[in-house]
Amino acid sequence: MLTRLKTQVPLFSMNSYTKLGEKLKLSGLSLASTHSHVIRLGRHNSKMAVCIAVIAKENYPLFIRSVPVQNELKFHYTVHTSLDVVEEKISAVGKAMADQRELYLGLLYPTEDYKVYGYVTNSKVKFVIVVDSSNTSLRDNEIRSMFRKLHNSFTDVMCNPFYNPGDTIQSKAFDSIVSAMMVQAS
Amino acid sequence: MSIPDYMQCAEDHQTVLVVVQPVGIVPEDEFFRIYKRITSVAQVSIRDSQRNLYIRYRHHYLPENNEWGDFQTHRKVVGLISVTTCGSAKEWPQTSDRFHCQKDVFGATLYDSRLLVFGLQGEIAEQQRTDVAFYPSYDDCPDVEKRVEDFVESIFIVLESKRLDRATDKSGDKIPLLCVPFEKKDFVGLDTDSRHYKKCCQGRMRKHVGDLCLQAGMLQDALVHYHMAVELLRSVNDFLWLGAALEGLCSASVIFHYPGGTAGKASGREPSLSLMSFFPSPLSLSPPSGALTANGISADTSSEIGRAKNCLGPEDIIEKYKESISYYGKYKNAGVIELEACVKAVRVLAIQKRVMEASEFLQNAVYINLGQLSEEEKIQRYSILSELYHLIGFHRKSAFFKRVAAMQCVAPTIPEPGWRACYKLLLETLPGYSLCLDPKDFSKGSHRGWAAVQVRLLHELVYASRRMGNPGLSVRHLSFLLQTMLDLLSDQEKKEVTQSLENYTSKCPGGMEVLTLPDGLKLPPVPLSKLPIVRSVKLLDLPVSLRPHKQKGLLENNLSSKSPFIYSPIIMHTRGEERTKKIEFRWVQGDVCEVQLMVYNPMPFELRVEHMGLLTSGVEFEALPAALSLPAESGLYPVTLVGVPRTAGNININGYHTSVFGVTSDCLLDGLPSVRTSGCVVEVIPSLPRLQLSTSLPRSAHPLRPSKEELSSSVSVQLFNGETQQLTITLENIGSEDLETLEVTSKTCNTKEKLFGEFLSWDLEEAVSQLPLKPGQSVTLTVNVKVRLDFSGGENLLQDLNDDGISVTGLPISSPLRQVLKPRAETKALGSESSKTDYNHVKTLEAVMTFKYSGGAGKVEGYYRHLSLGVHVDVEPSVFFTRVSTLPATRTRQCHLLLDVFNSTEHELMVSANNNQDLVLHPSECQRMAIQVAKFDFHTLPQPDQEAVRYTNPKLLEEERLHAQASMISSTLGITWNIISFDGEASVEGVLNQLVLEHLQLAPLQWDVVVNGKPCDCDIIADCKVGDAVPLEVKLTNRSKNAVGPFALTVVPFQDYQNGVQNYDLQDAVTFIGSNTFYIDTVKPTENSVCMGALLFLYTGDFYLNIKFQDDSAGQGKELPPSWFGLPSVHIKALEVRPLSEHH
Repeated sequence: MLTRLKTQVPLFSMNSYTKLGEKLKLSGLSLASTHSHVIRLGRHNSKMAVCIAVIAKENYPLFIRSVPVQNELKFHYTVHTSLDVVEEKISAVGKAMADQRELYLGLLYPTEDYKVYGYVTNSKVKFVIVVDSSNTSLRDNEIRSMFRKLHNSFTDVMCNPFYNPGDTIQSKAFDSIVSAMMVQAS
Repeated sequence: MSIPDYMQCAEDHQTVLVVVQPVGIVPEDEFFRIYKRITSVAQVSIRDSQRNLYIRYRHHYLPENNEWGDFQTHRKVVGLISVTTCGSAKEWPQTSDRFHCQKDVFGATLYDSRLLVFGLQGEIAEQQRTDVAFYPSYDDCPDVEKRVEDFVESIFIVLESKRLDRATDKSGDKIPLLCVPFEKKDFVGLDTDSRHYKKCCQGRMRKHVGDLCLQAGMLQDALVHYHMAVELLRSVNDFLWLGAALEGLCSASVIFHYPGGTAGKASGREPSLSLMSFFPSPLSLSPPSGALTANGISADTSSEIGRAKNCLGPEDIIEKYKESISYYGKYKNAGVIELEACVKAVRVLAIQKRVMEASEFLQNAVYINLGQLSEEEKIQRYSILSELYHLIGFHRKSAFFKRVAAMQCVAPTIPEPGWRACYKLLLETLPGYSLCLDPKDFSKGSHRGWAAVQVRLLHELVYASRRMGNPGLSVRHLSFLLQTMLDLLSDQEKKEVTQSLENYTSKCPGGMEVLTLPDGLKLPPVPLSKLPIVRSVKLLDLPVSLRPHKQKGLLENNLSSKSPFIYSPIIMHTRGEERTKKIEFRWVQGDVCEVQLMVYNPMPFELRVEHMGLLTSGVEFEALPAALSLPAESGLYPVTLVGVPRTAGNININGYHTSVFGVTSDCLLDGLPSVRTSGCVVEVIPSLPRLQLSTSLPRSAHPLRPSKEELSSSVSVQLFNGETQQLTITLENIGSEDLETLEVTSKTCNTKEKLFGEFLSWDLEEAVSQLPLKPGQSVTLTVNVKVRLDFSGGENLLQDLNDDGISVTGLPISSPLRQVLKPRAETKALGSESSKTDYNHVKTLEAVMTFKYSGGAGKVEGYYRHLSLGVHVDVEPSVFFTRVSTLPATRTRQCHLLLDVFNSTEHELMVSANNNQDLVLHPSECQRMAIQVAKFDFHTLPQPDQEAVRYTNPKLLEEERLHAQASMISSTLGITWNIISFDGEASVEGVLNQLVLEHLQLAPLQWDVVVNGKPCDCDIIADCKVGDAVPLEVKLTNRSKNAVGPFALTVVPFQDYQNGVQNYDLQDAVTFIGSNTFYIDTVKPTENSVCMGALLFLYTGDFYLNIKFQDDSAGQGKELPPSWFGLPSVHIKALEVRPLSEHH
């Protein structure tokens, strides 16, 4: 709604943090940039996600993978903050009709660089897909089908008798499904 | 207008702005005290009208913001209150001038002003002035509030007049065009007569009047004016003012719908304000809630209806806000207005609980560009975003922005980074990342949170606290990081974290105290219970020799009175009790106690743990800390922690203490559910003495075989059977208490072997006489070790040695001592080695000597200790008796015992017995030895008392009897052997069988034959004279238990020619006086009977009397054994009566 209003010069050009991070790194602790680094990636293959995360019912990550591996923490923050919206959406719908609730939550929030989409299974496991906001060709249906694929693969993981629910996902099959959906790091 | 007031909310539109400022030098705290009192007058109800006036006070306001006062009148400074200190009348003119200068700053917009002068007394202060109030001091100004109220009322009057003024002049004069600062140049040269321009002017004026109405408390009128303004402005596309009109409409509606206000709790915003005071920032104070009182609304009902009509619904409010913001967005210079509108809308949405929409407004607010912002402004902006996100329940977003604000505080562009503020802001983000700095909370909950961001945050906290110059905090945060995130750190990170932890602790060692931050936040201690990880805690018993025991008699009733049942299969304890469960064994005050921990090191490098000790309660305990070094990723590793309890009582092992990387931790077991323990409470009893035992014999290499009880020490010795060895035991008191009592007992174990006599014997008297034994003193005790075992088991193998068929008959053998040395036995023994070794085997004898001792306070409580000494003796066979038999001796009261003595040693030995000559035996030689012994009267042996007889097994009783008899025989015989320097006893006990015993026993019928007044036996020759009557007396004493008889005895005389011929035809030589047959009537037990007769020898010569026995009781009772009738044969020598014959 409001996004149509205007796109001004981003306020969060956090170059200063990056410098701080470097400074901290020198002192033995690595404090990486915390917010949107303007690294625009995946232009060449714009149909794909840049980050995919699976989050447990208790809101800790079961799986997270992002394409610019060197800046993974940024996506951790992006996904983590998106949980606010996910929770809000679940609780808003949950009261009225928990049964008919659609698993797909739609766009959670847009940042200047990315769009964050959410999906919640009936067991309150959350899937979050982050795509580049410059990627306009991506349709809602495509996002939905990505989530469906992800959900199916996750179900397979859960069916593995050797998988302990609540542990981080280390399944190769799941990993390959995720890889297929993601922008290949160039 | 560049600085937004983030604190604004919708209801601020109905307030009038008053600036309160100091003039000249005013102490800050005094100023704020007065300021606070002034701001308490935030709402004034105006007399006559039932309206309220709301005042917003600022102590700092930019004049450029004031320029927007026409746009939104609540931005206009309408009142000024100056506070000043004036010491003397001399200063007064200067002060007055200053006040006027200040007035000029806001001059254009001011409705009224006041000056509060403090400290001035005298002439000037006397004069009554409305615009100036004089007070003697800051403490003495009781009517400040009253003054302010008057001031507000005067503002109201101006406001009301302006409102009326503007509201009425709708027609006639030309309406001036109100405009915002940046518009001014746009209107230069514009056609002021155009319809468009006029409408524009009208619309803007309507909007302005609406503002004034709202401020003057006329909500209804304001709504009407706003609606009109919206219509007018929409028609001329005056977007900026249209936005303002819409916002005014929204504000008025919000004020109507939410009389409680939208600002939320003032206290909720306070902390961030105080934080902001780090940077110079406008301090805002919004009016207290309850902006619209009930009587204000219910003034007249007609307006109520109108209001409802004009007022926007909750949905509409948001729609209009959106519209308004989108109009503002068209103007770059109205960024601040837009931002503030967003904030106001968010607050309204938060009240409406429309979180998603609120987040969209906020998202928009993030992107509003206000041009070049200073660092402080950035921080302020992020902080307010964080707060607003918090307001709508987006805690993670809130934490994110707070963290960004924190980072901004220390941005490299800031010359003096605010690490303190950064740290404080970071701490506030903790809840957003579901992180709590109490490790107890962390270990409890199953919530894990987002580890990656948590680790990052902790790192930042560590860094910020270090830069703040508080290494103590860094240490605490690093400890927390290590403790809670250990599993998530990579090996490299573990190394780094521990390295920096060591660096910090070198400056400030970490401890267990609670760190309190200046703002009162407490950082609980972080015990590093994972460095190393403890898996189990086990209390160890004292070593066997030091264990205390309770005196039996003093044993209290141990049965717990919890249950009325003696035994119940239902175990009543729960898991929780397990930890507090009391342990069976006891510790002793003053003695070193041990606790074993199983630990392991989860780190990828060697872990040095220093000062690892026990934490206890209940008893004064001296923990003796240990240092250990655990290899990288070690497996379970046992660690024994020791300590000495200094007082008695129940001790509870609560946990342990460690020092790792310079951080000391007290790890309590209560907080470590993964630690297995079998109870942590143990009783400490008062101190007892300690004895050390040493012996003259060498220590035993091999422990006792059936070692059911643990031994303090043991000795071993090798002895020949029958040998006696002296063992000297030295007991030294190595404790600190006096030894007061000492008891010694012994117990022979593995009694498969038949043992004769006392194995161990000692005399304690001398040792006991030396008690009490002071610490350091010692006492000695001599113990005789005597082995007498039965080695006769091999007799069957030696069957051939004594197959000469010596039978036990009653027949006398004239030569009793017969050597039965048979050479063939020797050859046989040599020929078959195996058979030799078979009976040559070594037997083992083991016993445990127990030394019970006690003393000191422990003795009073009834405790003692015991030492046990195992005595292990390998017994080699010396001599043994392969066969035993008896031969009757010449005397009826005696007999010959024939013993086949076998020398099983490899040495020549000599056997001797009482009243007998020595016998020399070569190795493996067997000889028969005959010993003449008086028959035994076993009746003289002490009889077991009746009580004992009744309760013991008859078989056992019999055995006991036999044993007593055997030992009597053995001691009478006194057979000893001697090998050069060794000597020992040989016992016949084992070889005596029933038959032999019977022969050795005196017959129960005792016969005494007396000839001529002289008792006769086989080898005694009775003399008598020919021709004299020789009296013969036979006396029977019955010692059996039954009555015997009657018997008949016939005396037959005969002569033995010593050539095998016996002449019984002696009618001529011997004649009986009376009958030669005696009759003995029944003799009752213990009675006797005597028969008398007489003989007359007619010739000299050697005569024998054969007393034949004839049992007359035949048929009446059982046969009595023939041995019972062992009557001696009587040898009488009849001599010539020489003197008599001479006489003839």
